Amino acid sequence: MEPILLRARGTPNSRSIVTYHEAGGYESLRKVLGLQAETVIEEVKKSGLRGRGGAGFPTGVKWGFVPRDLPKPKYLICNADESEPGTFKDREIIRVDPHMLLEGIIISSYAIGAHVAYIYIRGEFYSEAVILETAIAEAREHGYLDPNVLNSGFAMDIHIHRGAGAYICGEETALIESIEGKRGQPRLKPPFPAVVGVFGCPTVVNNVETLASVPHIIERGGEWYASIGTERSTGPKLFSVSGHVKKPGVYEVPLGTTFREIIYEICGGIRGDKQLKAFIPGGSSCPILPADKVDIGSDFESVAEAGSMLGSGGLIVMDETVDMVWALENLLAFYAHESCGQCTPCREGADWALDVVRRIRRGYGRPEDVDTLLRIARFASQGMTICPLGDAFCEPIRSFLAQFRHEFEAAIESARPLPPKKQPVLPVRPGHGDFGL
Amino acid sequence: MVTLTIDGNEVQVPEGTNLVDAAKSVGLDIPTYCYHPGLSVVGQCRICFVEVEGMPRLVTACSTPAQPDMVVLTDSDRVREARAAVMEFLLENHPLDCPVCDQAGECLLQDYSVEHGLDTTHMVDERRTFPGFERRLIGPQVVQNQNRCIHCTRCIRFTQEIAETADLTMKSRGNHSYIDTYDGKPFDNPWSACAADVCPVGALTVKDFRFRARVWHLVDTESVCPGCSIGCNIHIGHLDGVVHRFVPRENFEVNGWWMCDHGRSLAEGLNDRDVDRPVVRAAHGERVTTWGEMITVLHSMATEAGPAGVVASANLSNEGLFLVKEILVGHFGLEVVVPVESDPPRKIKNGHNEWVSSVDAHANSSGARLIGLPIVDAAGLAGFIKDGRAPLLVLDDRSHPWLTSDEAASALEGRRLAVASRSVTPLAVRAELLLPVASWAETEGTYTSSTGRVQLARRGFVPRGQVLPMWQILFRLGVAAGVYEEGAVSPRSIFERLAKAVGAFEGMTYQQLEAESGITVSAEVLDVVG
Repeated sequence: MEPILLRARGTPNSRSIVTYHEAGGYESLRKVLGLQAETVIEEVKKSGLRGRGGAGFPTGVKWGFVPRDLPKPKYLICNADESEPGTFKDREIIRVDPHMLLEGIIISSYAIGAHVAYIYIRGEFYSEAVILETAIAEAREHGYLDPNVLNSGFAMDIHIHRGAGAYICGEETALIESIEGKRGQPRLKPPFPAVVGVFGCPTVVNNVETLASVPHIIERGGEWYASIGTERSTGPKLFSVSGHVKKPGVYEVPLGTTFREIIYEICGGIRGDKQLKAFIPGGSSCPILPADKVDIGSDFESVAEAGSMLGSGGLIVMDETVDMVWALENLLAFYAHESCGQCTPCREGADWALDVVRRIRRGYGRPEDVDTLLRIARFASQGMTICPLGDAFCEPIRSFLAQFRHEFEAAIESARPLPPKKQPVLPVRPGHGDFGL
Repeated sequence: MVTLTIDGNEVQVPEGTNLVDAAKSVGLDIPTYCYHPGLSVVGQCRICFVEVEGMPRLVTACSTPAQPDMVVLTDSDRVREARAAVMEFLLENHPLDCPVCDQAGECLLQDYSVEHGLDTTHMVDERRTFPGFERRLIGPQVVQNQNRCIHCTRCIRFTQEIAETADLTMKSRGNHSYIDTYDGKPFDNPWSACAADVCPVGALTVKDFRFRARVWHLVDTESVCPGCSIGCNIHIGHLDGVVHRFVPRENFEVNGWWMCDHGRSLAEGLNDRDVDRPVVRAAHGERVTTWGEMITVLHSMATEAGPAGVVASANLSNEGLFLVKEILVGHFGLEVVVPVESDPPRKIKNGHNEWVSSVDAHANSSGARLIGLPIVDAAGLAGFIKDGRAPLLVLDDRSHPWLTSDEAASALEGRRLAVASRSVTPLAVRAELLLPVASWAETEGTYTSSTGRVQLARRGFVPRGQVLPMWQILFRLGVAAGVYEEGAVSPRSIFERLAKAVGAFEGMTYQQLEAESGITVSAEVLDVVG
């Protein structure tokens, strides 16, 4: 497939607006400014574009939720928090082609009637924030970000907001709280951000990759975009492949490409020619799949059918040497650290589950531990918490125990008893206790 | 109005009511930690799960508004299971230190653990602790024990939404997040102890009350705060005649769920009791006497000894002030003043989230105005005393701080003085007649707030010794003067006469005051009196 989102990768000086112009950049914007906002939304609906941040919600439908007749301003937020372990595709887009993202943001803002957009970028992406600042300055110079964009009468500006390093701020309502200057904690829903979002105004939050796809849809039409991929999962998708493959990195493939093709052909196979043991298809919060599922297609439906989620496309590959107890401990350590602490099941459950798995890994497991883990997973997910972070650490627990329960049980069987607690030694005064005998 | 079904009961509630309140209206208790009727809804403790027919997942009752034809189950198997799980999560890291925890007895974690929890835990690992945060004085009133915190954020929301000072905040993240003061400043706002009131567990406790008594031993008496003219509704917590604390009592119209730290600090003062027998002092010394003799002496002092003056008090109940008017002014024709001290302004949020502020430091100056007694300020009081009226009858030695000043001492030099007191104050020391008088908790009475709200404060306990409430002293004086017939008397009977005699109180009955949280005097009347 010809690269679409990563078409500028390898081009010298690809971040500059000059290079972007040479590739036909900002033409889609010119085209859009003559159209009705509804027409743009229709085109995106026709393309079948689904959110690339993880949930896979149809983008055009999401835009349609924004009430048009409300007198309040509307906002677009570009979610560049990209904090899911195993995901690094948005960073690649920003590094390679920041203007493609800006053009997407401007077009999308036009479609929903927003005049201000925020790019919420992960705090660790410092150089990427600098790249975006530079690109925004260039776009301002060329009149793409202007109170009167290209003399069309449409006002537009983009602000960058750098996060402070919290996973939870990738969740859209926590992200909104963070932009408002508050502690990054998810809000109760409803109301949804499309109605009450940032500063109490209607807000659309879209992923970087989603917004970067928009100029291409406008340029070549929704039907062209829908022709890529499968029937219900359309378009190209970036996969950030990490783990035990020979060539990890970000790759663009049409949705539906089998994981075998991605792992064995595009990434050159397993490192050291070992056996594949398991892979996580969509970032660390998605259920793990065993090696025999490697032939399924990488579209939303096939992955869901296999019992996992496509998520953000952060493909984590594990070879036969991986100790699954250790792998789960590693994941849980992340989620226990990143739970915002707001609701009880997630705050207490994530830490507790980590304690249990860590104890099993250290050789002090107990026979009832597996049931305890499943109990935690049952009561900290699926609506028991405000946001999906509960599910994010419970799904790995459930899927690791479903696929690799024998490894946990083996670790528990060979466990030692817990070492006795160290009791404080009280000083014995002469004449008390031993009578000097 | 919205009609819905909760556990088979048909419930009618106003639109927008959440399911917790809707269930409460038919007597069903849904457990809540983070939900407090006076604070915003955050839905984060997850204990209030209920099942709504047609919804695939359990919903939190606090954040779900009642909708027409909703069918809610608050005690289904799914709900019970989920609540037990949430209880287990909460108790997973909570220390098992109830025997040494001062919240025990009024701890929601204890209550719901019995009601909804499991009798065991699956937890075998080490509990999370916050070393150094077990006993932290975060402000002048509040002690924090972070180990016991369940992260409900009620205290934070209290400081943000009610006190509007935002002193408290959550720091760090996840299981290690903890409550701290914003910027490390002391947690010092005029209502800070309310943060400990709203704390459902023993994480925040009120310093003054810590380890004074087990709350299940305390007797709670419904009363009104004596601190200022707002008239916050309170519970007096007392045990064996000792007052241990004031806690706010819910009254939507006056103080919501709150009270200020100044009011709370007055609880200790009610235990002052040095004077518990009537004392007569003469040149050769002092002697304890009986009330019979005391009343006789008082009577002769009021009638025979020249132009006597009376310093009444705006801390007296409506009944006491009414008798002042009837006996001292009406019968004896004495000149009476009610000194009123202007205090640092106090304010409190009511249940409608509006500020209510106080005009003076007394609970009943409006009552004195309505009954028709002249109000004076410090200068007026000084003038009244310096005018040389003797003997002088002081009905409450704490009615105005000027009375304890050096200026007052020199003005009173060598004059005959009768003082009603509880403790050895400068005034009580120089009194010829010393009358032991009941404290706020030792008498029943009604008080009129600055908004004209007449409220009943009940008696907590019987005073020791020969202490009498002021209305009873005045009544006996009335009997001695032949104005009243000897017989049973009570605040109720006096109030009934007051309601007949004073226009502002017309139509009020004591039964109403007992049943309701207060009756308001009509605004026109209040305006006329000022």
